[in-house]
Amino acid sequence: MSTLQRGLRRRIERLVGRGERILRPVTERDRERRRIAVLVVPFAVLAVFGAVVPLWEMLKISVSEAQFETVGFTLAAYRTLLREPVYAEVAINSLWFGALTTVVSVCLGVAIAHALEKYDLPREDLLVTLISFPISLPGIVAAFMMFVLFGNTGLLTNFLAFLSGRASVDLAIATSVVGLFFGYLYSMIPRATFILRGTYAEVNADAEAAARSLGATPLETFYYVTLPQIRPGVVGALILTFRTALAIFGTVLVLKSLSVATLRIAREINIGFNIQIASAMAAVFFVFTFGFTFLALRFTNAEVGNA
Amino acid sequence: MTPHSDDADTEVVPERPAGTGSPPVRADGGNAAPSAADRVIRRPRSRLASAFALSSRVGRHAVVGIVALTVLFLIVPVLATFVSSFAAEWTGVLPSGFVTLSNWKQALGIDQTVGAQRGIGSGLQFSVLLALGGVLINLVVGVPIAYAVARYDFFGRDLVDTFSVLPIVPGLILGIAFLRTYPEISNSGVALIIGYSLLKAPYMVMAVKSSFESMDLRQLEESARSLGASWPRTFFTVVLPNAKEGIVSGSIICWTLAAAEFNFSYIVYSRGARPFSLFLFENISNNPFLRAAAAVSIYFLIVTVVTILLQLTGNRGFTTGGAQ
Repeated sequence: MSTLQRGLRRRIERLVGRGERILRPVTERDRERRRIAVLVVPFAVLAVFGAVVPLWEMLKISVSEAQFETVGFTLAAYRTLLREPVYAEVAINSLWFGALTTVVSVCLGVAIAHALEKYDLPREDLLVTLISFPISLPGIVAAFMMFVLFGNTGLLTNFLAFLSGRASVDLAIATSVVGLFFGYLYSMIPRATFILRGTYAEVNADAEAAARSLGATPLETFYYVTLPQIRPGVVGALILTFRTALAIFGTVLVLKSLSVATLRIAREINIGFNIQIASAMAAVFFVFTFGFTFLALRFTNAEVGNA
Repeated sequence: MTPHSDDADTEVVPERPAGTGSPPVRADGGNAAPSAADRVIRRPRSRLASAFALSSRVGRHAVVGIVALTVLFLIVPVLATFVSSFAAEWTGVLPSGFVTLSNWKQALGIDQTVGAQRGIGSGLQFSVLLALGGVLINLVVGVPIAYAVARYDFFGRDLVDTFSVLPIVPGLILGIAFLRTYPEISNSGVALIIGYSLLKAPYMVMAVKSSFESMDLRQLEESARSLGASWPRTFFTVVLPNAKEGIVSGSIICWTLAAAEFNFSYIVYSRGARPFSLFLFENISNNPFLRAAAAVSIYFLIVTVVTILLQLTGNRGFTTGGAQ
């Protein structure tokens, strides 16, 4: 038996020993370990049967040779994703549109969180409730809200038609990319705001007051005193909001104006049941968002605290 | 001249008495100092510095304006939808023909309508039950892990902490993964319940964890233990009742979000009773505008009731739902 095998065996024995001591604890420390295990196990079971097993199955489907059963191994689906330019376009659309809406949402979120924390706004409780309301709405309802604002008889469409004297049908932008942009913002602004509110609650107000009394203007105070303090929270908000943007589906399914990854995945299933392609896209999507989140949280000073 | 040079600093300092409204003439009759300060102020400023100076006059108004516009953007369409659902038509600038309940009756399935569109039927009831199932699983799964993370220090705690409050898998991706994984249950509601509980678990964990974090768990647990309670008894009769607020608000939030979950349901649902979100989708994509408005308003009413319930438990709206 080589040293490597012996080392491995010793390590396995130690693990087994630790497992036994969790089941039959001797010391108080063992009992605490057992408690932690008992508390974590239900979540682990749900994660395994609800996420790990299905995702593994999805991965197998993406390399399956047959459409209606999971057999063999082929990378044909992934080759298709690489070869056909339409999939590259889908990926690029998802990324630039997600990045753009993320930056805008987080900027607005900073403004709102700043105003809620620093200013004496009237009816602040009500404002918080109103801003958080859209968090509970699914994406399809956000899309409907865009019809209400920008549709053919939409409120803003009619308002602009009244101002410009043009026909309202020419001004309706609900089903254009601009309409989709606002539809994304509708879901993303409240989420970004509430991540940033958690950050703002921890800002040291004394330092800001000191800067102001030493003669700094509000913008200087924000730039040199507040911003360095909220930077980790802003980075965290950018990461989480970008994930949200990539995962939006209902809004784009109704408005249909840009071919992003989620819409394309659903279309592969609905038209011709291309489950291998859909699974391959979903696998790439999952690996990308998972890796992106993991790396971004690991290599930036992002703070993902409680909102 | 850069605004970061010493000159910029001397620019700022003499401005302070001016800000408090004092005139440039000094009370002691004056030596050369006031005029020197005046010269500093009158010196032409760099563009950045003048932007900073501008901010003290318009900054707050601009930020408040942005906030006001954003709130209007978020709320006006909600109100317009609700109001117009009672209108007979909306072909002009504003909806007209108030007040009619026909849109609501059609959406609720009380009135028969032309065409094949069904009313809400059993969909809402079905979703209510599915969402309840999801909440039950979330209670069993989310409360313990929130306690583990808040109370104990263990190997991999940070990782567990991060991934229990982050939605790991987007709904659509999870839907694709569920398509063929559990063939025997995917046509029943069980697949939907498992999916809902997994997708909404972060909200439960966050709400409960913030409740736990506001308590002195170690002291509470040790007091109960030293008085002779076993650990399970301590957990169930001392710790959990103290976290009631977080558990209740977490359940309410999870239930509401699960009841309207769309992305996962859209892929997984195949036959049987239709989840509520698919009823909404059909209305939004196929039905006349005002009837869709009535259907969406049903959900608004649910959320409003839920928000009031949350206020009663001490939460301000869906504020724990930051991470999705």
